[in-house]
Amino acid sequence: MAQAPDVGDQIAQLNAARSLVLGDAAFYPQIVNGILPIVGASTRLELRRWGANFLAETFASPVLGVEQKEQLAPNVLQTIREILRLPETDITVLQSLVQASASLYPLVFRHIVNHPQDSTTWENMCEIKQEILKKMDDYPCSVKLCCAKFLQRVVQVQTHSSGGDPRRPELNETSLAVVPRNHSLLSIPNLEAESSGLLDRLLGVFQEETSDALLVNATINLLPPLIRTRPTIAHKIVNAILDFIPAHHVRPPFTPTVRVSVKSMERTARALLWNILKKNQNHPLAPRMQAYIERLSQSRLEAAEDPTRKRGLPNEPTDGLDGAKRARLNAMPPPMMKIPPMAPGPATYDSLFTLTEDAGLSSFDVKQLPFDIVLKIVVPLLSQVHDSTMAQAVEAVRTRYQTITREQTLQRQQQQQSAGQDDDDDYEPEYQPMDAASIASEENTAVAEDLADLQPSLGPFVLPKPPPLSEEEAGELGRAAAARVFGMLTAAEASAGPARGQAQQKLGFARLAGSASDRDAWSILLIRLATRAPAGLEPPPNADSTVRRQPTIADSIRETLYRYVLEDFRGRLNIAIMWLNEEWYNDRIQMKSAAARRNPSDEESEPTVVIHYDTWVNRLLDGFLAYLDGRDIKVLVRFLSEIPEITIPITQRVASLAKDPERVNLCVQSLMYLIMYRIPAREMCLNTIEDVYQTYEESRPAAAKVLKKWRPDSTVLEKTEEPEASAAPAQPEAQPAVAAEQ
Amino acid sequence: MAYDPRRTNSGTSTPQPPPPPPASGMAPALDPADSYKLKFCTVCASNNNRSMEAHLQLSGTAFPVISFGTGSLVRLPGPSITQPNVYHFNSTSYNQMYEELHGKDERLYRSNGILNMLDRNRQLKWGPERFQDWVPGIPRVDHLAKGDKGAAGTEGGVVDVIITCEERCWDAVVDDLMNKGSTLNYPVHVFNVDIKDNHEEALTGGKAILDLANRLNGAAVDEHRIHGTEGWENGTGAARQSFDENVPGILADWQEKYPNLPALWTVAWL
Repeated sequence: MAQAPDVGDQIAQLNAARSLVLGDAAFYPQIVNGILPIVGASTRLELRRWGANFLAETFASPVLGVEQKEQLAPNVLQTIREILRLPETDITVLQSLVQASASLYPLVFRHIVNHPQDSTTWENMCEIKQEILKKMDDYPCSVKLCCAKFLQRVVQVQTHSSGGDPRRPELNETSLAVVPRNHSLLSIPNLEAESSGLLDRLLGVFQEETSDALLVNATINLLPPLIRTRPTIAHKIVNAILDFIPAHHVRPPFTPTVRVSVKSMERTARALLWNILKKNQNHPLAPRMQAYIERLSQSRLEAAEDPTRKRGLPNEPTDGLDGAKRARLNAMPPPMMKIPPMAPGPATYDSLFTLTEDAGLSSFDVKQLPFDIVLKIVVPLLSQVHDSTMAQAVEAVRTRYQTITREQTLQRQQQQQSAGQDDDDDYEPEYQPMDAASIASEENTAVAEDLADLQPSLGPFVLPKPPPLSEEEAGELGRAAAARVFGMLTAAEASAGPARGQAQQKLGFARLAGSASDRDAWSILLIRLATRAPAGLEPPPNADSTVRRQPTIADSIRETLYRYVLEDFRGRLNIAIMWLNEEWYNDRIQMKSAAARRNPSDEESEPTVVIHYDTWVNRLLDGFLAYLDGRDIKVLVRFLSEIPEITIPITQRVASLAKDPERVNLCVQSLMYLIMYRIPAREMCLNTIEDVYQTYEESRPAAAKVLKKWRPDSTVLEKTEEPEASAAPAQPEAQPAVAAEQ
Repeated sequence: MAYDPRRTNSGTSTPQPPPPPPASGMAPALDPADSYKLKFCTVCASNNNRSMEAHLQLSGTAFPVISFGTGSLVRLPGPSITQPNVYHFNSTSYNQMYEELHGKDERLYRSNGILNMLDRNRQLKWGPERFQDWVPGIPRVDHLAKGDKGAAGTEGGVVDVIITCEERCWDAVVDDLMNKGSTLNYPVHVFNVDIKDNHEEALTGGKAILDLANRLNGAAVDEHRIHGTEGWENGTGAARQSFDENVPGILADWQEKYPNLPALWTVAWL
């Protein structure tokens, strides 16, 4: 029988045998045992395919009784095991064999429960199981599907079922519940552990980063029996589904195939949840399931732009007026407006916009109506007017307008041509740009071309130059600009915060003036505006004083700066110092350039420059000295040490502090600092100290100490030596204290 | 529901074999014995119009095909929208329906195309079957014996592909397969091709389904041929992909050609 030469004949015979069993299931045992040798491991592919397919069909068949299947199983298992061991490589054969194994597993399991002595059969089954589990991941997708189904069967069999009656195991479906505790081959804990692992493997498909829709769909569709009959694992399974969002498990590019996949996974997951919910409205996870379904439907809405999802409008061109096959829109066909020709005669705006032929209406003067009544009528009318009517009316007016423009252009062209060439000399393109283009073309061009020319011939629009500013206006504007920068200064100060100081520290000498937009940058800008920008523009100071100039912009900035610093001189001292340094520097540069400009032959005319530094340092000192109190030693010392030049007026002003008995020490200590650390000003300050010593009684103890140290041969000291002798020894501690403070 | 006047066999009361469908050129000329064929199942609500049109198209191309309805009853249009003609599934033949309606009001049912439709159906198979009552795996040898068109190849009572014609039918089929418990361990691709329930749409939809079927079968035949001798391990690239893997791509391609027939797909179990 196995030696039949022609495979075709053999297949035909086998098909006949299949027809027989399909017609009468009673023949199955005979046929199955008969074909096993023909379709076994060593036979041709066609026969193996047929055989595997037949075995799968046989053990799935609902018409063949469970007992008969159980009896057939041992022989078949042997064959399957042999074919799998080949190793088999044909997809169809593998698919069928795994299917058959999935059908066989519960049968064999039940058989072993009842026949613990039949270890060979169980061994074969376990071998097949291991083979499938081992190779599953390497199989092609089609086989993997069936392997997932096999897993499901194993899990189903090796889990406890619900509601079974342990006293009547023959009525229960095959599950762990039918296994006796003392079974020699089947160890319940081992089987349970194995099924738990296999369930994880089965559900692992939902955790893949990139889902294979085929496997996911197949897995979802095989879960319902587990969820329904295995309450112990149902919760875990449903949770795995609820955590699975198909759209998150695909990678771009979103090809049509990927879209099909996502949609199919979403719909299949939804179908599963509906299936569960329909059976048990009060499922503990019902709210989550509903939320999940909701979420899926939303995610599908997001994908709604997918043109394939919805039945689109028909592709044929839809003529809105073709009543025969018109898409149902919520609109009537747009009413066509009857546009009367324009009234004859010269074109007026009135005739241009009149679109009615009603004589009464067109002669009605709307201006007679009060404005508010017109508004009341027009606004509701505008909201109700049909879009297309509006568009038609506008189009009609536009056409009319274009016709008129065209006619006018033609007329003008003709006039110019008749006027002749000599007109060209007077021609002013600025004033009649439209004509320029027409003349330039000098052709009696077609009307349409003319129209096209109209646009470019309009030319660029140039704003007229503003009238020249008067000096007052310019100054006014300059001050306004400066005021605006001051505005920035205060704004920057308000928003600066602590970051400013840090940035400054970091930059140090590398800082570029005005490189940031903080307070310092703006103040530098202002200071330089005041000191450098107008340098040399100012009228010479010896100019005729009768034409005494208005305050220059620089002076007004200085004035503002002065007031700005005095508003908070402690906080803005650094701005004052910056400013004075710039002033001093500017004065130097001015003097230098003035010297260079000096005409060597003209000895008498000494070049003079306005020295801003002295003026402003004195004004500033006058400004804030009055407000210094005894503890402001740091402020004063810093100011005096950082300004670029100490002058006698400055020291005098400092000396005046000693008038106030509370500020004597302030005065003496700041002068002493200058004596100690500002060598060029030492003599000047010592002189001042002497003055102070002589003028103010209260200053003598402190001043004497300074003088003794720095000018021991001072004449003033000797004159007053005696009365102060007793006070002298108390002083030495004061000096290091001051020094330390710096 | 005017019956499509373009149908050559429409308007004739004399039974005549269904004409070869327009797509008959696509029918492979191979000997059916050695050419692989996927087994199809078409489903609509009443197993009368859309599923039967597709049944006609598929069986005309020699595909094994069975067909079902998912409704609770067979409903056919009556004299008014509130008076449909209602029949039971599985127990009423197309011929019975034909005779009854013919007797009731021949002019009405002739003009609305119902008689022509039933006439076509009674030449294809005995009567409408309900999907939910179908037990997969029960042999259908008797259907072959009765001469049902497309019965050859479906004797085993299983199919590889189910194609529904309406989304709620797809839902019903997937849900029912879940309930049936997948006892056969047999994977089945379930498609939906959304077709409006009228004769014209059923005809275009039926052709589109045939196109889909041809594409799917082509891939399955390729799988059998490519992997037949060398085994899957020797194939490369797309050739290594099995038929099942190619299904989403096939559907996506098909959908691009038929954007007006929105499609759905999943893999379920019999």
